[in-house]
Amino acid sequence: MTLAIPHNQRLPLAIAALGFLFLGLFLLYPLFNVFGASLLDPDGERLTFANYVKVLGRPFYRGAIANTLGIGIAATVITTLLAVPLAFALARLPIPGKGALLALAATPLVLPSFVSAYAIVLLLGRSGIVTQWLQSWGIGFGSIYGGGGIVLVYVLTLYPYVLLPTLAAFKSVDVSMEEAAQGLGSSPGRTVRTVTLPIVLPAVLAGALLVFIETLENFGVPFVLAEDLPIFAVEAFKLFIGETAPNPASAGVLGVLLILTTTLVLLVQRRFLSKRRFATNARKTPPLLRIGTGLRIAATAYCWLIVLLALVPFFAIVVLSFMEFRGPVLHPNFSLANFGFLFDRALRPLGNTLLFASLAALLATLVGVPVGYVVTRWRNGVATVLDVVATLPFAVAGTVLAIGFVVSFNAGFLVLTGGPLILVLAYTVRKIPFAVRSASAIVHQIDPSLEEASISLGRSPLQTLLRIVVPLMLGGIVSGIVLTWVTVASELSATVVLYSGPWRTLTVVMFQSLEGGGAGIATAAASTLIVVTLVPIALLHRLVRRYELA
Amino acid sequence: MAGIVISGVSRTFGTVRAVDNVDLEVEEGEFFTLLGPSGCGKTTLLRMIAGFCELDSGEIRFGEKRIDRLPAHTRDIGMVFQNYAVFPNLTVDGNVAYGLKARRLPAAEIGRKVADALALVRLDGYGERWPHQLSGGQLQRVAIARALAIHPQVLLFDEPLSNLDARLRVSMRGEIRDLQKALGITAIYVTHDQEEAMAVSDRIALMQNGKLEQVGAPADIYRHPTSRFAAEFMGTTNILQGGALRPEALRLAADAPAAWPRLAGTVERVEMLGPITRADIRLADGTMLRMATLDAPQLGLAAGDAVALAYDPARLTVLP
Repeated sequence: MTLAIPHNQRLPLAIAALGFLFLGLFLLYPLFNVFGASLLDPDGERLTFANYVKVLGRPFYRGAIANTLGIGIAATVITTLLAVPLAFALARLPIPGKGALLALAATPLVLPSFVSAYAIVLLLGRSGIVTQWLQSWGIGFGSIYGGGGIVLVYVLTLYPYVLLPTLAAFKSVDVSMEEAAQGLGSSPGRTVRTVTLPIVLPAVLAGALLVFIETLENFGVPFVLAEDLPIFAVEAFKLFIGETAPNPASAGVLGVLLILTTTLVLLVQRRFLSKRRFATNARKTPPLLRIGTGLRIAATAYCWLIVLLALVPFFAIVVLSFMEFRGPVLHPNFSLANFGFLFDRALRPLGNTLLFASLAALLATLVGVPVGYVVTRWRNGVATVLDVVATLPFAVAGTVLAIGFVVSFNAGFLVLTGGPLILVLAYTVRKIPFAVRSASAIVHQIDPSLEEASISLGRSPLQTLLRIVVPLMLGGIVSGIVLTWVTVASELSATVVLYSGPWRTLTVVMFQSLEGGGAGIATAAASTLIVVTLVPIALLHRLVRRYELA
Repeated sequence: MAGIVISGVSRTFGTVRAVDNVDLEVEEGEFFTLLGPSGCGKTTLLRMIAGFCELDSGEIRFGEKRIDRLPAHTRDIGMVFQNYAVFPNLTVDGNVAYGLKARRLPAAEIGRKVADALALVRLDGYGERWPHQLSGGQLQRVAIARALAIHPQVLLFDEPLSNLDARLRVSMRGEIRDLQKALGITAIYVTHDQEEAMAVSDRIALMQNGKLEQVGAPADIYRHPTSRFAAEFMGTTNILQGGALRPEALRLAADAPAAWPRLAGTVERVEMLGPITRADIRLADGTMLRMATLDAPQLGLAAGDAVALAYDPARLTVLP
């Protein structure tokens, strides 16, 4: 007696069941508990909105909401205004060094943004190097602490989110449309405005909303730069960790509000984009436009300025890490003392970072690839729900997920707090949307008839998945593992809530030295992190080139 | 090897009856074609036989054995796809051996069968090549060799030639037909091209809206269509006195037997296509007739000419 499930539905159903089990336990259950904490009275017995009334009734938290949204909108608008012309220049104008520009422009995506924020403090902060140098010439400037500095760091670290999709869109515009417009008597300028820009608009908006969501969720940058300015993710963290009286209920309220905001933004984006599909299947990339020398110099300067400016903070951190610090005071002598302090105390944090990143990257791939396969190939209600659930972590700030983990797994049937596994699982859940998205994108490119051919030749669906689909996905899977690995290595927002004693990571060491004023160790940790991030990416580039993967 | 019996098979997608209560018997060793416009249900029916589409009702048998509830990978079918579906991560040898390895045959036997199958499709010596080194026609030969290597009970072809250029299509369809007849494997072939269907098939099932419109030998369907749809899908059709008349059943009155009925009209347009010449002729009552005639030196048709025509009354098929 077999189950009454059609034979060709069994494999996807089994994968979906495992996916739901994992995401149910490590995503929905913790989130449910965050909602629960926010909705229960102090005795934990009755449902109440009192916590919401209390938190929203305080001007301090209303201010936090306003600040977060205001900074997010400002950063998104400025990023878009800078990145769209940059994308256009890289796609359509003759700019020298385009290959290098493109490689450099993508790097801020994998470098930790709070390191950039910290570098800005070291350079332009109250006792910053540039600040003091300018002061010695009698030049002063406004404070980089607070909203302005945060927006600056967001713009410099998040602009690739708009640049990369917009660039791809500009390159896929079918030239014949522009030619048609010009044939109808439209000037080149008007053609760009009335034909090209509307075609790339969905890509611009998709990128801009990613930027907005990142700013809402970011913990590290405001933690370094906000000072007294209340910011959502930071206040949720303070309420939960609270040195005086931990307050999970109020932290839960902030967490829920944050999730609702990001979910709303995502829904708006989906709705808007689903109505606008201007994908034009260009057979070849559009040709470069001819422009005068003056314009060309200006465009070149613009591109290099933005791309290099974004990398200056990271470069500065690496340089500073090789200088001598006495307490927070910098002395311009070459020294390896910072690394000495960092690794002398323990190599363990570095080891933890490498171990956790490897485990989380593997686990996220193991869950994400089959789930990505199922949501792409199996078009029905179950697959749609699975897709939505697997995308959900994207709308959940690391801090909030981590709070859910602590509330859920510090007692009861599964105790994880205090151990290393809770970090690995939180990282995995956070990276699953990326693993699923990238797997799904590769599966889209694999012709389904290859799988049908394999099945008709006598291989079962599971064998077909392992022998045909996985080998064909291999290049993409390897890239996905490396990208996940790299972003996990510099994860901060969930880590600071979940780490314990011996399981500190490099980011925690840096975070603690920021609080303690150990600037030397912080710079050493930061530049170690940069190396840990860039080396795998460089190796991946070589691998891709050698084997023509991806 | 076995015949195929399809009885009472239906499948609905949303509100569309993709396959609507189809009954069909395919003889053992027969080359049978499902022909029809896109969306007629021919591909759905083929995928039901292959096991990639579930039945809402009905059953399918290979010989005595009911197969519609079997998992696709246990049905013992060789399938050839429109886009070749040659595994890009395996060599030509690896592709052809794929189904044999799934059957856990000894290595020596696999080697022999792979070589045999490649010889059948005239790809001897191509075993070491990778798919990206082959042309479209060669890829489709690999796909055919791969399907033949497992000696399946049934061969299924899903528009296998649509991605090839016109000349290659004509030569490949002949090869497919010859291979199938030489091996005697029952084959079902799906196409929307009536000329291709007539060239390769023992019998054709013409489908429309999920139903069988007409089943019969190619010449039978062409000459004796049972509906206006069948008449028009199988070739250019003139509707005259409620009957269907093929263009080649019309002749200039001067060349026709005296017993044939006569018609008078004006030439509107002439297309000289090489071996044949086509002409559109408008009758006095406004009816437009399409005539086709073999080229001949004395043939002098020009637009504007008044012409007398005659038609073969035996070839006027009365439509219901």
